[in-house]
Amino acid sequence: MAKKTILPFGPQHPVLPEPIQLQLVMEDEIVVEAIPAIGYVHRGLEKLTETKAIAENIFVVERICGICSFMHALCYCQGIESLMNITVPDRSRFLRVIWGELHRLHSHHLWLGLLADAFGFESLFMQCWRNREMVMDIMEMTAGSRVIISTNALGGVRRDIDSDQQKFILNSLNKLQEELDNIKRVFSDDYTVNKRLVDVAVISKEDAHELGAVGPVMRASGLSFDYRTTGYAAYNELDFEPIVEQSGDCYARMMVRLRECYQSIDIIRQAFAKLPEGPIASPVKGFPSGEIATRVEQPRGEVLYYIKANGTNHLDRLRVRTPTFANIPALLKMVKGLTLADIPIAILSIDPCISCTER
Amino acid sequence: MNIQIIAATILLAPVIGGLIAGIDRIITARMQHRVGPPLLQPFYDVLKLLGKENIAVTNDQSLYAVLYLVFNVITLVMFVLQMDLLLILFMLLLAVASLVLGAMSANSPFSKIGAQRELIAILAYEPILISSVVGMYFVTGSFSISRILQIDRMLFIDLPLLFIAFTYVLTIKLRKSPFDFSTSHHGHQELVKGLTIEYSGPSLAMIEIAHWYETVLLLLFAGLFFANNLYVAVAAIAICYFAEILVDNIAARLTWQIMLKSTWIPGLLIAVVNMVWVYIKYHV
Amino acid sequence: MLDNEKIIELQDLKKETLLLKNQGYRYITMSCVDLGDSFDLIYHFDKAYEIYNMRFSVAKGTIVPSLSDVYFCAMLTENELKDLFGLEFSGLVLDCGGNLLITDEVGAAPMTKQYVVKAKESE
Repeated sequence: MAKKTILPFGPQHPVLPEPIQLQLVMEDEIVVEAIPAIGYVHRGLEKLTETKAIAENIFVVERICGICSFMHALCYCQGIESLMNITVPDRSRFLRVIWGELHRLHSHHLWLGLLADAFGFESLFMQCWRNREMVMDIMEMTAGSRVIISTNALGGVRRDIDSDQQKFILNSLNKLQEELDNIKRVFSDDYTVNKRLVDVAVISKEDAHELGAVGPVMRASGLSFDYRTTGYAAYNELDFEPIVEQSGDCYARMMVRLRECYQSIDIIRQAFAKLPEGPIASPVKGFPSGEIATRVEQPRGEVLYYIKANGTNHLDRLRVRTPTFANIPALLKMVKGLTLADIPIAILSIDPCISCTER
Repeated sequence: MNIQIIAATILLAPVIGGLIAGIDRIITARMQHRVGPPLLQPFYDVLKLLGKENIAVTNDQSLYAVLYLVFNVITLVMFVLQMDLLLILFMLLLAVASLVLGAMSANSPFSKIGAQRELIAILAYEPILISSVVGMYFVTGSFSISRILQIDRMLFIDLPLLFIAFTYVLTIKLRKSPFDFSTSHHGHQELVKGLTIEYSGPSLAMIEIAHWYETVLLLLFAGLFFANNLYVAVAAIAICYFAEILVDNIAARLTWQIMLKSTWIPGLLIAVVNMVWVYIKYHV
Repeated sequence: MLDNEKIIELQDLKKETLLLKNQGYRYITMSCVDLGDSFDLIYHFDKAYEIYNMRFSVAKGTIVPSLSDVYFCAMLTENELKDLFGLEFSGLVLDCGGNLLITDEVGAAPMTKQYVVKAKESE
């Protein structure tokens, strides 16, 4: 009869990027059950948005999370613009796509580095983050800051990208693509990496659908769902397909995110090729009223914003359902039956953004 | 004469061990395109640790840390005094056992699991260490280092497979990837710091210094395979250690199941093959 | 009014949800709005990129049947609503007892409309 011990994994753990606690009930080194506890970074941002003006809320919503911040602002602006029936100019739609995909690149690179660190491969971790610096340099050049770039505004964007910056971006992306080829070889073919990732923490297709998993977790189990294909911003004029893998293990999730990096570079190139001239923002007059539920595809999956406005400068309700919130039930299912050594990899494979989860 | 050698060993070995640790960190950093810490950083770290408060979960913990240091010092002194190899291996085992007992006594689930993993690591490398010593006995006819050093033949020529198996388990003993799962130099594994997680302050400093003594001992043991030519021995030790750093940087951390399988099935196999071959060569 | 919305009664909640599950809808989330003396609960589902909303109102203090035996992932959202709005759910599969997101010092149900009464200085 194996003895059960309870191992408190987190909230302070060097392998976790953000505080989440999983009390692992273990028999020897096999996890029998995981009891989650969150709430370490709850900041009450939804309540805060009820007290701020409509335009100020963009900045509040951006700071829900640093790694997906542009998409939060994008979703909010799109929701308010739909309520007020504003059409944004074409140039700003393409610029939103470009910044959105740059954000996706930086988020996936950060995650790839953390995954390499979780299975003990420090030099690969350093390499991924060094490549990410190329993306951060682009963001700093175009928007003035590296992570929370605040370029969304109601009616369009606040900054423009001129042709010199465009050349620099395309050059950097070429270099980034070469570096990605190097990293991809290690991630997909290295013996020790494969041993740690293949067949670890498998989620079947039915489970992923039933547990409401979103994003790469869902796409790695064979469900083809990428909200960008519905064509918000300028995505309906760009050519891309959802990236799907079938095996549902950590290796599949890693490959989905790695291939999405290539896809993001391709989308940015297409967007620059089709970038039209014109203004970057439409004028906004008045206040929104009504309700709307909008969605956007963040790096971690689909985020839902439910906005209720009442015609004044303050919102009635802003509800955010972030992708990591939807992936946590899948995580609880995944960790049953894993050995302790696989736990950090399983937790990281859903790309946990706990600040998003708790707002 | 003996007293002077003993004193020199006890005082010089941690200095050499610390310098090796410093060089290790700089080479690792350069391999990762970083600059790395200054060469004397391990000494700064140990000095800082010695000045901190000793917060221990139980009193036995600190005792076991002292025992770990004492046993490692005794083992190294015995090696330098060229005593019996089997006895040296036994003292080494006692040292690791004190560390394991210390981790077990700390009552934290992380350190308990780290201690269990360390026991499994012992199960993996101890047979190969003993095989190396027995192989040397078959070649030279003695377990005593002083007799082994008198042979004018390079042991490596007779025991190449045993040397390869030895370098494989050296990765485990030196706590490098892919086999650094009971505790590692980086705190980013699932057990955080594993064995040494509940240690802080002077106890942790003692464990660190003991690890330096152990490193010197293991590298000297590696050099024993090339003992009759001093320059070759030093070069071999340097190449061996550099290879360990390289493997640390190009491999992810594996699991103990894989470690056990790979040290027993190919590792022990080639060790036994080598032992049988030298037995036939020298005693039949 | 949201697009693709259906207004239901509280007692039909379980039946409607089971229907949706059998048709292959994916659970997204639940939103709650404080309307003063009642809560407006909206349940969002998705099928093939199209969102489907179910809306119903509950007076404050009503116990809502939990969906966590139909959709396990609903458990997390229901715990969050319990913390933030003080809603009670019956039959929650994993109940965090009001401690999922907030601690005791935050006070009860912080997302409900709070009214601050200023004391008059003269009296």
